[in-house]
Amino acid sequence: MSVLGPLFRREDRHSLAAPYALDALEPDERRRFEKHLQKCGRCTVEVRALSEDAVRLAWSQAAPPPAAMRERVLAAVQRTPQELGRAPVRERAPQLPPHVWGTEPPPGRSRAPRARRPLFVPFATATAAAALVVAGLFAVQANRTQDQLDAQRTQAREIAHVLAAPDVRATTGTDERGRSIGVIASASEKEAVITLTGYADLPTGRVHQLWLMRPNVQPRSLGLFEGDTPLVATGLDRTATSLAVTVEPDGGSAQPTSQPVVQLTLKSVGFGE
Amino acid sequence: MEADELLVLVAGGDQKAFEQLYGLVSGPVFGLVRRVVRDPAQSEEVTQEVLLEAWRSAARFDPGRGSALSWILTLAHRRAVDRVRSARAAVDREQREGRRYHDPAFDQVSEEVEAGLERELVRRCLNRLTALQRQSVTLAYYDGYTYREVAERLSLPLGTVKTRMRDGLTRLRHCLGGAA
Ligand SMILES: [Zn+2]
Repeated sequence: MSVLGPLFRREDRHSLAAPYALDALEPDERRRFEKHLQKCGRCTVEVRALSEDAVRLAWSQAAPPPAAMRERVLAAVQRTPQELGRAPVRERAPQLPPHVWGTEPPPGRSRAPRARRPLFVPFATATAAAALVVAGLFAVQANRTQDQLDAQRTQAREIAHVLAAPDVRATTGTDERGRSIGVIASASEKEAVITLTGYADLPTGRVHQLWLMRPNVQPRSLGLFEGDTPLVATGLDRTATSLAVTVEPDGGSAQPTSQPVVQLTLKSVGFGE
Repeated sequence: MEADELLVLVAGGDQKAFEQLYGLVSGPVFGLVRRVVRDPAQSEEVTQEVLLEAWRSAARFDPGRGSALSWILTLAHRRAVDRVRSARAAVDREQREGRRYHDPAFDQVSEEVEAGLERELVRRCLNRLTALQRQSVTLAYYDGYTYREVAERLSLPLGTVKTRMRDGLTRLRHCLGGAA
């Protein structure tokens, strides 16, 4: 066997990005390449870009479907249960190829900032944390009032807004008991989405309150957590150094009255200058 | 509202949001599926499956990683290609068994499709590729052939086809980017 054997084989695997983006691999080859993609940053970046090109090819074929299809699909939707969004994306069986997640919008929409998104944003972290956010958001569907549903709708819009920012970053912090705080933030939008996981058990009459910490300034309240629902914090400037969560009496406090149960620095998400 | 926001709402079971999303994506999905599958009845069927799958698995959509439209169109392309390949496999079986097969599904339908601006742009940019780049890309993407099948049809080595596909897509990107 030649010394160059392994080298050629690797070379060969790297060369499948274009056929993959065009859905032109056979099933076995596709599976093998998807495995390779999990380890190969170069191919992942290439696939993402080439897939966006393929989407332009798709978009250019748009044609109105028969009018009757609308009623059929909407009726089917009413009878069709959805997969629950509770488990993080990574734990669910992946049926969709990684390249489903392109980075750029198809033409016809003026979302220029997304096109400038750097390719080396830590997507893996962003994805896991984003999955937690969306999972938390929709964890409790039953017994919602119209007001709560409206609030949820507004919040989903805000979350989508943060996630779509060109500089979106994510980070998580875990305490010694395995409970965690997750943050998805955009420094340019001055916004962050914050989730708590595992902190559900609270004595009655107590709430979790979120604080913004800055050097030499009193903590500023960013709001109260309700169950697993994420908080959207706006108006964060670059001096924000960390977030802290304390347990406070119902209704919250003007200033923290106890030690933080968890604290998270914002440096890795573009704040804390 | 944009498709990204709508799809996040759809993940939460919002049927009104799905109705709005249908308005935004059904045309692109149907047009793409029909381009690949060709047969009108089958195209409708696949389109419906794709839209329903978008409803079912909307929770998998992560707006942080790309637009809702690319998510749905990529899903649609995958399903369309699956359909056209299994149809071809069935044809191959029939031919092996010596039966005559006539498939009206493979008539060209592109002429009847309304020519939008994007369509015209893409057509123009495809025409700027070399013939081999263009054929490699379109045989795979619009006709659903694997790159091995493309290599056979064009009598080219596998490596050449892979390169032509990549160069074709990259050149297309530059052409479309310059024209947008
Ligand atoms: Zn690679």
